[in-house]
Amino acid sequence: MLTIKLDNIEITVPAGTTILKAAEKAGIIIPTMCFNESVPNHASCMVCAVKNNISGEFIPSCESKVQEGMDIKCSTPEVIEFRKDSLELLLSDHVGDCEAPCRVGCPAFMDIPQMNRLIAKGEFSKALEIVKEEIALPLILGYICSAPCEGACRRKQTGSSVTICQLKKFVALEDSKIGKYYLPDKLNKTGKKTAVIGAGLAGLSASFHLLKYGYSCVIFDKNKEAGGSLLNVPENELPKYILETEIEILKQLGAEFRLNSDVTFDLIKNDFDAVIIASGENSKYANLEINEDTFTTNESKLFACGAVMHPVKMAVRAGAQGKASAHSVHSFLSGKIPQKQKRQFNSRFGKLNEQEISEYMKESIPGESKEPQNGVLPGFNREEAIAEAMRCLRCDCRKSKTCKLRLNSDHYNVNQQKYKLAERNKIRKHFQKEILVYEPEKCIKCGLCIEIVKRNNDLTGLAYIGRGFDIHIDIPFNKPLEQAVADAAIDCINACPTSALSGFAGESGNVLPD
Amino acid sequence: MSDEMLNIVDRIVADKGKSVNMVIPILQAIQAEFNYLPEPALERVCQITDITPSRIYSVSTFYSQFRHQQAGKHIINICVGTACHVKGAMLVYDAFRRELKLDDKSDTDAAGLFTVLKVACLGCCTIAPVIQIDDITYGNVTTDKAGEIIQDFLNQKNNPLSKRKNPSKGENAVKGEIRIGLGSCCVASGSADIKEELEKTLDKNKINVNVKQVGCMGVCNQVPMMEIHKDGEPTEVYTKIQRDEVRKIVLKHFKPDSLLTEYKNRFFNFFESLSIENVPETTKKYSNDQRDTPVSEFLNKQINIAVEHRGVIKPLDIDEYIKFGGFEALKKCLLELNPREIIDEIKLSGLRGRGGAGFPSGRKWEMVREAQSETKYVICNGDEGDPGAFMDRMLLESYPFRVIEGMVIAAYAVGASHGVFYIRAEYHFAVKQITAALEICRQKKIIGTNIFNSNFSFNIELFEGAGAFICGEETALIASVEGERGFPMSRPPYPSESGLWDKPTLINNTETLSLVSWIFRNGAEKFNSIGTEKSKGTKVFALAGKVNRGGLIEVPMGTSIKQIVEEIGGGIAGGKTFKAVQIGGPSGGCIPASMSDISIDYESLNKVGAMMGSGGLVVLDETDCMVDIARYFLSFTQEQSCGKCTFCRIGTRRMLDILNKICSGKGKPSDIADLEKLSLKTKTGSLCGLGKSAPNPVLSTIKYYRHEYESHINGICPTGKCKELIKYEITTDCIGCTKCAQRCPSDAIEAIPHELHFIDSAKCIKCDICKQICPTGAVIIK
Repeated sequence: MLTIKLDNIEITVPAGTTILKAAEKAGIIIPTMCFNESVPNHASCMVCAVKNNISGEFIPSCESKVQEGMDIKCSTPEVIEFRKDSLELLLSDHVGDCEAPCRVGCPAFMDIPQMNRLIAKGEFSKALEIVKEEIALPLILGYICSAPCEGACRRKQTGSSVTICQLKKFVALEDSKIGKYYLPDKLNKTGKKTAVIGAGLAGLSASFHLLKYGYSCVIFDKNKEAGGSLLNVPENELPKYILETEIEILKQLGAEFRLNSDVTFDLIKNDFDAVIIASGENSKYANLEINEDTFTTNESKLFACGAVMHPVKMAVRAGAQGKASAHSVHSFLSGKIPQKQKRQFNSRFGKLNEQEISEYMKESIPGESKEPQNGVLPGFNREEAIAEAMRCLRCDCRKSKTCKLRLNSDHYNVNQQKYKLAERNKIRKHFQKEILVYEPEKCIKCGLCIEIVKRNNDLTGLAYIGRGFDIHIDIPFNKPLEQAVADAAIDCINACPTSALSGFAGESGNVLPD
Repeated sequence: MSDEMLNIVDRIVADKGKSVNMVIPILQAIQAEFNYLPEPALERVCQITDITPSRIYSVSTFYSQFRHQQAGKHIINICVGTACHVKGAMLVYDAFRRELKLDDKSDTDAAGLFTVLKVACLGCCTIAPVIQIDDITYGNVTTDKAGEIIQDFLNQKNNPLSKRKNPSKGENAVKGEIRIGLGSCCVASGSADIKEELEKTLDKNKINVNVKQVGCMGVCNQVPMMEIHKDGEPTEVYTKIQRDEVRKIVLKHFKPDSLLTEYKNRFFNFFESLSIENVPETTKKYSNDQRDTPVSEFLNKQINIAVEHRGVIKPLDIDEYIKFGGFEALKKCLLELNPREIIDEIKLSGLRGRGGAGFPSGRKWEMVREAQSETKYVICNGDEGDPGAFMDRMLLESYPFRVIEGMVIAAYAVGASHGVFYIRAEYHFAVKQITAALEICRQKKIIGTNIFNSNFSFNIELFEGAGAFICGEETALIASVEGERGFPMSRPPYPSESGLWDKPTLINNTETLSLVSWIFRNGAEKFNSIGTEKSKGTKVFALAGKVNRGGLIEVPMGTSIKQIVEEIGGGIAGGKTFKAVQIGGPSGGCIPASMSDISIDYESLNKVGAMMGSGGLVVLDETDCMVDIARYFLSFTQEQSCGKCTFCRIGTRRMLDILNKICSGKGKPSDIADLEKLSLKTKTGSLCGLGKSAPNPVLSTIKYYRHEYESHINGICPTGKCKELIKYEITTDCIGCTKCAQRCPSDAIEAIPHELHFIDSAKCIKCDICKQICPTGAVIIK
């Protein structure tokens, strides 16, 4: 048995134990990427580095064995900085988007590619569920959204972008036709009461999300009809029945509307645990100090969103603010201090080039976007929607939830641009039937897949090719992936720390067109 | 696959064996047959051996020796080692590509006759720039000579050198001996030509003289050299001989046998001389007894241990080696000393590893001795990958028996039964010499079973490295011998515990081993009395670059840099100013001239940010750009990185990106600090010595030459070396001779006889030819 110090904690472990395992035993979490217990270990990524305080060296904890009397630092700022640098260097050679540009471009951060895939498969109600994770009023937005997502869509580079907004409208309309609206699951009821003042887009959106968090919600509005400025939109842009349907859905979800009630915060504050002001450009609240990051105000329990802060031009942004303010209320009511909502780390690589477009087209269908036969206002029929959704290039990452590079980069709050000094590599996509996708430009060269495939002697296997910066993993004799990886695909996908090797169907929950 | 190819592969496999560790020798043999690795041949190998497709691919793409694309009939290797780099190797490379009309994508000419490649270092640094076509090496190449060289090569191919036998004793009395160096530098400078001419002259004139090919004479930038030994006359040394001067020299010393021959000769010579307009004045003659000649100065300041009997000893003459005391040390060790005593003697001598890090050799031997195992190995590390270093090559070529002797002593001391010579494949001649020397030793029972009738048995085989700098690192070297990619392994365990095939293994550098026999013949105390407190004995350096006299030198530890540059090297060539020395190659650093008083030992070099490395010592003058030097070394190391760990693989590349930015004038002031920071991170974050030391050339140049970095950021390369920051112009010194216009490969100069010429910057490709050939020095860099 050997005794060592890990962050000043003394721990005794058997000889031959790695520092990583010893740390685990001491309750210290060290991140890893290239390490995998089932595979012979060759430390390379350096994300698990710790500092040997005696020699002053940074060593990979996954590979280094404990030695008697070691004094190891696992969590000092210096060690954190070192791990950040490892990640930043790896990211400088990692060509991939965690999220599709359309989703990043959407103020509400809707999971557009996933919606598209579900539509393409004909699973319209599931598609709506995806939409409603982020967007409270897809019917309304289906008509009036300015669709910044379509401006970001990569498909635009080969002609017209996917008409995402129409697809969203389509799934929302499909839902409204069934007669039984989709109502999202609510978190456990807390018994806490919330109110929203103002039944415009921001307020309606806020109420939807407050209800989802498990609070009761009363919506006050001074007008006799709910809708706020939406009531001013002409019928040929937003038919009245659409607004009415959306309000009906909210009511079914549990919203209580109190119209013709020109209330103030002071008037109702004792009746509610939290109140959101969403009453639009309202001079009554001109002196209210609003924190635009957290939507909190100088009044306890009072939150604000929408035009009450400053004019909001984009409808979807007003909706997004409603959602964000509801999130702040939820934090507040959970006993936490509301924080600015931080988006998860997102690797980005910029525009596709010609050759890359054809790589991406492998997962799409050619052709321009077609206008709905029945006209833009009524929108797509089923066949049209499916055809349009299939035009999606599928540019989101297949492992956006489990990629260790993303999770660690997010954890350490790294800057992907730090070492972006040279032109990036060209993206390629290789497929093993509908099982595995290999994207070499996302690889961190850990070689786990090589070792996994090596277990099966009948396979051609994978090999490191070249050396230095140009090292990459490829198949000997240009054989197809089926012959190189075959049944080892699943193990490789699970072991790969990034989405260089990913399942064709993506992570669980993701679907692909047939 | 053709049956013929199949048969060839089958024959190679039958010869080399089917086991996995034979992958590199098999690939080398296939490439020797086809000049590249045809895919069907590789597939065949996988079919009939234990080598998997994964292994054959990963190994064959790791080592730079191997090609997967068809190559031309002849390979032109352009040396881009340090010494060649500072003398314009890249311009030479461009010139050959232009000459053969290669486009950006191909390295082989349309006719499939020549393939142009870069090679890390041919180890002929003193006659830089150097190129090699197949096995013929050319030195002192200039950019305008590409065409001539290719033509000369083709001529030589058609008229191979003739072989001459030395006269037998029975014939007329032997009149003397002419020694001619045939080390790689000598040959590259044309000594084979000289030898041919010499033999022709001797035969034609029926002069009965022994011609002796000796190993490297060390004075490598004075080559070709010829020494005339004649009874009753002082020895005379001729340096930098040209072919057409040989006859004159020979006839001056030796009279032809008969009057008739002499007469005939005069007759021929009369006509011959008509075709020679003027005999060049390059040849210099020095007598060995003369003092203060460049040669004597060069040699006299040195102490010869590793290169004992230089210029005298014939490399493969074992009797001569024995005559000079060879194998006495081995005999003494085997028959009189026990391993403990041998190790103690080495410890007492203070010998430290000459590979770079300077680990105490006695301690290393002891660790292997103490390791418990039936089987142990000794490896001689001759994988001298540093650009600008050629010590190991010279030692292996010229003193093969000395290295073998050291190796057998080491093996006996540590209890090893098996030895491996690991020599890089670029060193054709060294491989040839060691192969021959091992065969001779086998015949003489100096290696094999019961050496000198002791009960000690030891065998040595030779393994040719395949072109990977990282394989100088011992764990990577071992991986390579085992038929793997040269990925270093983490230590501990050290090779002394678990090395080749997981057995205790002693790995010593070639130079370290070549010092061993001297220590036993002369005593550890004597060795210990040479050098400084912590660095004992001598160190061999490859002195090259901008000095007047370069070559292989062996100096006592503690000699100052100034002494080496000024006294041995004869100062800076061409009246330029001494700027710095680059010592230790890609792992080392630059030491400015102002600090040249420091004495050379392991510790003092580390202190100033350089390191001993294996002993490359490239002298730089005022025309050398320090940012370019840093970029040069970094582009080398990042290409040589094995690619495993993040900091070395990506860190060195990003450092290079920053340097490229700075050298092209696109840098910004914060780049210097960023580069420094990333350098320090790469130093601490890399897993093996390559990455840990790769930032040294950058850090040392930033430390001593920060102002040069700053000027580049301001758009000026102070020495006019960085292509993107310079412009060629013609001054009013132009006499209108049109030479530049005629040779300009990009039509950037219009020929207008007798008028001032002008360079069109838009067309100029900065090949430097105009500047090199201008008779009045009117072409300048701005």
